[in-house]
Amino acid sequence: MHLHLTAEDAAFQQQMREFFTTQVPQDLRQRWAAGGEPSADDMRQAQRILNEAGLAVPHWPVEWGGKEWSQLQRHIYLQEMQDASVPPPLAFNANMVGPVIAAFGSQELKERFLPPTANLDIWWCQGFSEPNAGSDLASLRTSAVLEGDEWVVNGQKTWTTLGQHADWIFALVRTEPDAPKKQMGISFLLIDMKSPGVTVRPIQLIDGGHEVNEVFFENVRVPADQLVGERGQGWTYAKFLLGNERVGVAPVGSIKRRLADAKSYAAATRDGNGSLLDQPLVAARIAELESQVAALELTVLRVAGNSKEGKPDPVSSILKLRGSQLQQDVLELIADIAGPASLEWKRGDDSETEAWAALATPTYLNFRKASIYGGSNEVQRSVIASAILGLKG
Amino acid sequence: MDFTFDDEQKALRDAVRDLAGRHTPASSGGDVPVGPGKHDAAAWSAIADMGLLGLAFGEDVGGAGASAVELSLAATELGRGRLVTAYADAMVAAELINRAGTAEQKAAFLPDLLDGSSLIVPALAEPGRAWSLAAYDVTAEGEGDSVVLTGTKEPVPYADVATHLVVTARAGDRTGVYLVADPQVSGARVHFDATPAIQLGSLDDAPAAIEAAVNLGILAVVSEALGAMDAALPMTVEYLKTRKQFGVPLAAFQTLTQRAADMYVSLELARSTVLFTAMALADDPLDSAAASRAKVQVGQSGRHIGQEAIQLHGGIGMTAEYAVGHYTARLTAIEHTFGDTRWHLARLSASLRDYEQVEVLRPA
Ligand SMILES: Cc1cc2nc3c(=O)[nH]c(=O)nc-3n(C[C@H](O)[C@H](O)[C@H](O)COP(=O)(O)OP(=O)(O)OC[C@H]3O[C@@H](n4cnc5c(N)ncnc54)[C@H](O)[C@@H]3O)c2cc1C
Repeated sequence: MHLHLTAEDAAFQQQMREFFTTQVPQDLRQRWAAGGEPSADDMRQAQRILNEAGLAVPHWPVEWGGKEWSQLQRHIYLQEMQDASVPPPLAFNANMVGPVIAAFGSQELKERFLPPTANLDIWWCQGFSEPNAGSDLASLRTSAVLEGDEWVVNGQKTWTTLGQHADWIFALVRTEPDAPKKQMGISFLLIDMKSPGVTVRPIQLIDGGHEVNEVFFENVRVPADQLVGERGQGWTYAKFLLGNERVGVAPVGSIKRRLADAKSYAAATRDGNGSLLDQPLVAARIAELESQVAALELTVLRVAGNSKEGKPDPVSSILKLRGSQLQQDVLELIADIAGPASLEWKRGDDSETEAWAALATPTYLNFRKASIYGGSNEVQRSVIASAILGLKG
Repeated sequence: MDFTFDDEQKALRDAVRDLAGRHTPASSGGDVPVGPGKHDAAAWSAIADMGLLGLAFGEDVGGAGASAVELSLAATELGRGRLVTAYADAMVAAELINRAGTAEQKAAFLPDLLDGSSLIVPALAEPGRAWSLAAYDVTAEGEGDSVVLTGTKEPVPYADVATHLVVTARAGDRTGVYLVADPQVSGARVHFDATPAIQLGSLDDAPAAIEAAVNLGILAVVSEALGAMDAALPMTVEYLKTRKQFGVPLAAFQTLTQRAADMYVSLELARSTVLFTAMALADDPLDSAAASRAKVQVGQSGRHIGQEAIQLHGGIGMTAEYAVGHYTARLTAIEHTFGDTRWHLARLSASLRDYEQVEVLRPA
């Protein structure tokens, strides 16, 4: 056991910090830090700067732009990126479809898709969920039927995050409707969003924003070679992908950044003759959350979720479960600090309410999603109970 | 102590439930309202016409001569119906005028407020400041008929539709209560720049008036919250029965049904507390401990029920087109209105040495 960073890791940390704080424009990082609806242009610009420096997809195979970093270095990289409020590489690209293509795609698919995926020249979205296939993803019904050298796709996906910006969608489709188990006969298909027959319809969320969509497929023709890996093996690839997704969603660096923000907001909010940071209940809550975030970060460092040969490490469920809870707790705290100012979601031009305070409630409400998507917290508990504790429900 | 409603109260409840049902905002299709909504003028005149603004006020000032209990009962139904109105705010303004104002001031302003011909709301919050009953940065100068106010209040919910504001302002080192007609409003911000105002009553009476008025506002919002929770829980229960995943209704998963049971526990604790607080404030409008305990319990129940209602609905609970999120948004706003859970806990903490046990049974 070692308490301190090695000289090498400390130097790595310094190098990351310097890169993120000097190479990504400050105004862009400020916009990201402010929250609210993300700008697609900012996300593209940030990912391209990272990719140019070889920092967009460090966990991919080296051949496709990866770095052979230790788990600790990967953590330091994420921590520094989030601390500097750099928009992270688009998760659909960097953490989801990229690793799947790299692990299971043909050489041709890799060459065609991996470089533009790393550079966000292709914006991907995730077409897994359907109205009747949420937690029970395997009951999905969108069908793909092979006609000559094309798949003909029909069906509906929902909850497609940022689908309005996407160029391509990676979708789970049913290719063998007669397979004996519903997990079988599913394939992983790459579909150009501009294909005739694809329709995107926005869904408005409770914070008033538009980040998810419904996507309809009506006789959409997809070249047969855009199927990843083997026909009927989509469920295996999806599990591999979701394991990676869970690792990405313990955004310890972001939680710490927001908690540090919360502290400065509390210090700036006047209360009596002092500030909210002088209030014992506020101070105690911050201290409590700091301790809990530290415990999470240490757990990330100790067990850091891995996805090994197509099987997600069930331990990554701890990170998803606790990461989403803490993220929600910190956003709740910020709404509490804003207090009466949180009642105003949209500020008028001459408002004297701070932007963070006006955004506090919509952001808090928006992040209720974190315990629902990417495998809900109930699903994570089931994974822990059955795969780790051996309690088959 | 008796928690049952009499026939008159039941009739009132049913009538308000009916009214609220007719004005419930759409939760599907079209332009779904999210966030702090615009004051619903049609609902407001229905509320005024039914006499709901005057429930807690005496007939001598144009009220209905009922009590805080009836006000609470009505507010519960407005919350259940997801009505976006200034009900609680107007009640605070009315009580401020009623308690702080002179006889002439009451006669001049209260009847119009209570019959709905004017809309008066309180301006209490100051930008960059935590919730407080005292004013700090908005100051009052002068006396009697020549008072002027300077400074900014924000946010002032419903300021944009108000005909008058009742403003707390600092006079020397004390906080007074002032009435301003035709305020300069920009969104939820009100700016005073040597703005003429009427001082309501005396500085000596102001602190108690503010406390009593905010207590009444608290009763109105915790009652609204009770209505919202009372609607969000059955919606969730119904959803667990009908939504199928893995070939069975969600209600087949015990982990979910047990959480619905916990929500029910939270709801009933809140209901008891709200009903008790209504009676306690009807008896003593300055029973701030009761008001604070209600705010704490409803703050915690509201957060629990709102969060769980969304979580148990899954993705659909996040959408603007589904009412469960509207309830949660409203519960969140209520928690931050008239002091949040933390503020009320702090107020209760400050008086722990004054009593040995918490008492709810009181001799007549
Ligand atoms: C903002 C947002 C963005 C999203 N983005 C995407 C995206 O880009 N692409 C995509 O494909 N999907 C996306 N999703 C979909 C997400 O993955 C699903 O919402 C999620 O899988 C839950 O499914 P559901 O909404 O149908 O809820 P349901 O599965 O109906 O679940 C409802 C409730 O029941 C619980 N539950 C269900 N089954 C069980 C069980 N067996 N045991 C215990 N509890 C259970 C759930 O945990 C939940 O609390 C997104 C969702 C949201 C809210």
